[in-house]
Parts: sequence; structure tokens; C-alpha cells
Amino acid sequence: MFDLFKLELFKLRKKLRAWLGPILVFLLITISFPLTVELASDDLKNVFYSILWIASLLTVMVSVEGIFLEDYEDGTLENFSVANDSLFSMVLIKIFIYWLLIGIPISLLGTFFSVSMTGEMSSFYIALPSMLISTYIFINLFALGNSLSLNKGSVLGALITMPLLFPILILLGKIVLNANFGFEISNLLLLMLGVLLLIIVFIPFIISFIIRTHLE
Amino acid sequence: MLEVKNISFSINQNRLFQNLSFNLSKGQAIHVKGSNGSGKSSLLRILLGISSASKGEVIWDEEIGKVFLGHKNVLKNHLSVADNLHLHGLDVAHPEVRSILKDLNLDQKAELLVGNLSYGQQKKLALVRIFLNQSSVIILDEPCVGLDDQTRRLITTFLTTELGKNKSIIYTSHIPLELPSSEVIIGIL
Repeated sequence: MFDLFKLELFKLRKKLRAWLGPILVFLLITISFPLTVELASDDLKNVFYSILWIASLLTVMVSVEGIFLEDYEDGTLENFSVANDSLFSMVLIKIFIYWLLIGIPISLLGTFFSVSMTGEMSSFYIALPSMLISTYIFINLFALGNSLSLNKGSVLGALITMPLLFPILILLGKIVLNANFGFEISNLLLLMLGVLLLIIVFIPFIISFIIRTHLE
Repeated sequence: MLEVKNISFSINQNRLFQNLSFNLSKGQAIHVKGSNGSGKSSLLRILLGISSASKGEVIWDEEIGKVFLGHKNVLKNHLSVADNLHLHGLDVAHPEVRSILKDLNLDQKAELLVGNLSYGQQKKLALVRIFLNQSSVIILDEPCVGLDDQTRRLITTFLTTELGKNKSIIYTSHIPLELPSSEVIIGIL
């Protein structure tokens, strides 16, 4: 399993445009947003979070676009299936590595920008856990969409998956709302973590089954 | 090692083969022959468990390791030859790997991107993975396509040696390989 982790990490690390590109897109969105609005506005603080969630969602969508495509087209997945290796483990590790190289950096960048924008350290405790958890969920769900449309184009996959992400966006909105009113946000974060814990096992299992069907 | 019992396969009502039965034992090579579209690749995919037969059974002895080279070369175009070998657990600096790369005239191309290699060179590189694999069964789908005579001879020599080690081989090819007399030919029409 560790060997597989090292190989998958090596594969993604060598494909700069697949992980650095999306991070730069995220950086551009978060930097350009304050330039387009009135900086002194009080609403800016609240709106900024919405931009942050949408930017992370779009960044993940773009980055996960080819998560299985290359391996499918060059025969890696077929070869993996022949070698009796566990497709489930491969999917699980692949998703984790995408989170490691894309999810964590954009979560850290997003947290940095939210603290800079609001000027309050409390933003750190809102943005960091929310983004770390939500990006992992986004990657899982977009990976599911991409596996469904493996040989039909990734836009279709993203369209199928998008409605599944709405509850997470609502939760993220609630977290900001609660924080603004001084309410507890840990319960909402725990709820999101609970969703992630379910997804983390079930989605790779479903994806591995879908990939097997595609290989047939 | 392998027992195939009365398998049939159809795609969209188009029957490719029916009631095909054969066995594969240790040290034996099977050459699957047939015209284009006759179901040779489909048969290999069924044997490998990637696809399912419409009817019949494929029974492998448990714990049999299989290595397969199909139409896809399992290579990443954006990575170098050395990086691609690394992905298959092979170190380009290892003497055995270097020796095979030299036999295939790829020893000077370790740092080149696979996308910049010709089709034949990519096919040769894909063969390195097969040549260095320890699996008991080697399954090849048209291994000679796009290769020069020298490489074809190299494949024949390699497969002959592997048969001598009691490994088993199943391959499809329009160009028959001159393997030892244990060869069995299955014709799919």
C-alpha cells in the first residue's frame, strides 16, 4: 500500500499542470476578488467566504478532471485489474494524494487570505477546518463524477456530481453564518467530518466498481 | 493451470466465438489465431477476467500471477523512459534493466520523454516490463505489431527461455512466433 502511495504521488508530482495549475487558478481568484470590490465595505468579509468556497469548488473540479482518464487511456487501470491489485486501494490513495497536493495547499492559501481579508484571527478557525474537510469531500465527489463519465468527457461527470455538493455548500454557508452571530461552529464542522468519514470509504468503493464496469 | 470450458462470446448479437474449450499447462504456449474482429482480443480479456463470457467457464489455478501486454502500452507520454520504468518498479540503473534496454536499443534514451519516442520504440519499452516480470503466465495481444525483425527475434528468444522456465504463454499474433513444439494453435473464425 505504501509502494502504491509512493508511485501515485510520483505520478501526480511529475504532472505539474495537474496540481500546480489549479492552485494558481485558486490564487488568482482569491487575489483578484478584492480588486473588483470596495475594500472598505463591511459586506466584503461575508462575501469573501462565499467566494472562497466557490473558488475551492471550481479549483477542485478543474484539478480532478483527469484523475482517472490518463490511467484509463494508457492501460494502467486495465493492467492494475489484471495484476489482481485492489482498485479500491488505488482509488483511495489517488484521492488522498490529490487532497495532499491540491486540497491542503488551497486550504492553507484560503485560510491565509481569509485572515488577511477579515483582519481577525478567528477566521483561521473557520476557514482552515472547513476548507480541509470540504476539499476532501469535493475531490471524492468529483472523482465519482469523473469515473461515471470516464469515456464520455469530464463535463458530464461534473454536472452529475454538482447537485451532490449543494448540501456541503449549504453547510459551509451555515458555518460562516453561525460564526458571524457568535454561535458554536464545531457541531457543523463535526457534521461535515461525519459526512467525510462516510464518503472516504464508500466513494472509492463505488468508483472502483464503476471503473471495473468501464474496463469491461 | 488454466481450464477453459465451452466459452461463447457475443457483442450486440454478433457472435464472435462459441463453445471454445482448451487447457493451458505449465511450459505450454498457445497461439490464438484469427482474422481481424474475430474475437482474439476479447478472448484474452475474458481469460484475464476483464470481460465476462456470454457462456462457459474460465478456471485458473489459484494464486497464478499473470502479466499482460495488450494494445495499450501502459506508458505515460509526459514522463521519461526512466520514470516510466520506475512506475513499473524497475530501476534504469539496474544491470538487468540496462542490459535489456541495450538489447532493445533504448539504452541511450533513458532521459527522453516517452511521447517523443516512435510507436515501435514505445512498444519495445512496454516489452521491458514483460521481460522482467516474474509472473507464471504471460499474455500478449499482438506483441509484434510495429516492431522490426530484430525485436521480433528477441521476443521469440525471450518467450522460448520463459517456456523453458515452465512459464506459460498465450498470445495473439498474425505473425506466428517460432516457439518450441509445445505450441497449440486455436483458430477463431
